[in-house]
Amino acid sequence: MRALWAVYKRETSLFFRSTVAYAISCALILFLGILFSSMVANANLNNQSPYAQQLIPGDQVITYSLGTLTFLMFVIAPLLTMRLLSEEAREGTIEVLLTLPMSEASFVVGKFFAAWTFYTFVLLLTLIHVLLLLAIGTRPDAGLVFAMYLGAWLYGGAVLSITMIWSAVTEDQIVAAFLGAASILVLYLADQVAGLVQSQPSLAPVADFVRELSLNAHYENVLLRTGVIRAADVAYFILLMIACLFITTIIVGTRRWRAN
Amino acid sequence: MIDVQQLVKRYGDVTAVKGISFTAESGQVTGFLGPNGAGKTTTMRILTGYTPPSAGRAIVAGFDVFENSMAVRQRVGYLPENVPLYRDMSVQDYLMYVGEIRGLAHRRARATAVLKRVSLEQRSHSLIRTLSKGMKQRVGLAAALIHDPEVLILDEPTIGLDPLQVLELRDLVKELGQHHTVLFSTHILSEAEQVCDKVVIINRGTIMAQGAPTALRGELERGGRVLVRVLGDHDKLLTIVRAVPGVLDAELAVDGVIATPDNPDQDPRPALAKAIVEAELSLIELRPLAVNLEEIFLEITRNEASLSQPMSEMDTPITVEGVS
Repeated sequence: MRALWAVYKRETSLFFRSTVAYAISCALILFLGILFSSMVANANLNNQSPYAQQLIPGDQVITYSLGTLTFLMFVIAPLLTMRLLSEEAREGTIEVLLTLPMSEASFVVGKFFAAWTFYTFVLLLTLIHVLLLLAIGTRPDAGLVFAMYLGAWLYGGAVLSITMIWSAVTEDQIVAAFLGAASILVLYLADQVAGLVQSQPSLAPVADFVRELSLNAHYENVLLRTGVIRAADVAYFILLMIACLFITTIIVGTRRWRAN
Repeated sequence: MIDVQQLVKRYGDVTAVKGISFTAESGQVTGFLGPNGAGKTTTMRILTGYTPPSAGRAIVAGFDVFENSMAVRQRVGYLPENVPLYRDMSVQDYLMYVGEIRGLAHRRARATAVLKRVSLEQRSHSLIRTLSKGMKQRVGLAAALIHDPEVLILDEPTIGLDPLQVLELRDLVKELGQHHTVLFSTHILSEAEQVCDKVVIINRGTIMAQGAPTALRGELERGGRVLVRVLGDHDKLLTIVRAVPGVLDAELAVDGVIATPDNPDQDPRPALAKAIVEAELSLIELRPLAVNLEEIFLEITRNEASLSQPMSEMDTPITVEGVS
């Protein structure tokens, strides 16, 4: 725990000091901001009613902007995590860390929490959209907004943990980023695949299984659109994180058996 | 204290360490000596709990490195060969970070103390990437010392330093050796001779010799071979040397004649000197062979190389074991 906390503090402070992390979050916030204002402006234009502001679909605007943020995570998550473990291997600092009295798990989990903290920070920045909607008199449904943010938060943690695996596998950050992006897309699109497979009646159980694996089936279709917080969805994301961090820990541990 | 017994490390088909045994006492500096690729780093990585052994046992500070890895890691300070450090941290922050992972109380005081120890206190707020090679080496050493470990394992700490820094580091290692168990690897033999209380010579994963540098030297000198040089004709010298009583055999070397006595404990030099002077040759050098570790080392590795050709690698028992 003590070691995990030490690793977490170091990595978090690195995130908040790194230009790359700020560049990524600036670009993201700018992009989402343009999207947000054009949606609000359009809704305003199309309404001729004197009570126009009440007709701005606040829930939809938040759904759309959070949906875009989470979709873009397939690029952002690998960029945030690619350095975390591959750099330690390349610089050789992992040799020092693995000879300190600290388990591989605290090392991996500390780094993961740091990345998740930075993501949480970026996610909280988008709350400005909710505040702006409130300021112009639109009242998005509080429960729905909470569910959407909880969903986006869990989704972010899950994709960050997926990309951590690749950072442990390779010493090359670019390779780690590409493989991370690819694996997120595969899980993201899994429900589309399930849809295709479903047309074959004999494969229906396979389709169900693939759908349950997909990120979207647990996020976009439930939390983001309906605001229903199902235990199964929350469990899916938490288990996905635990599984990915476990695999990452094992991979870091295999370094002890390798020649270098 | 370090106690290694029949330690083996295999990487796939390659056996990097082939059943070595040695001990390193506390309050001593033990030199781990060998050419590049001899298995020094692999052995040290096993002793620090970085990599598990394939067979054999290693007890470090009273704990088995495999079964009680955490206990060992708490008691060992390790400086890896290429001194990996976080380039983007300041010296002080790095030491505090290592201290925090180790769960030290009074980290700031400890960091200040070890920085003073390695005389780097003025640079405590510099980023590590701005430091010179020698300073980085000292930061690595400070990090290895921060928890005042029982056992200190230093993998080639003097590599890449300028001559003055090398001297400073050797003095520091010697000093540390008074209170800790220090295992110190190097491929520079004179360094081991100056710094170490005990030397373990390793080559191709096997121990070739071990003991105090002086005992090791004595042992090889007692083999008794003597180099004789005169001005002029060495062929004539060869016949004279062969005729000296107590000389078993003599051979021509590049720059003189090497005489082997029948009795290793009997120094043939007085008799040789007398015979040469009587033959009216001008004697310019008469000394025992293998006077320093350099020569012992070359001798051992050369013997091994020439003998291992016809035999398989595993059964070349050219060790000078039993010196301790």
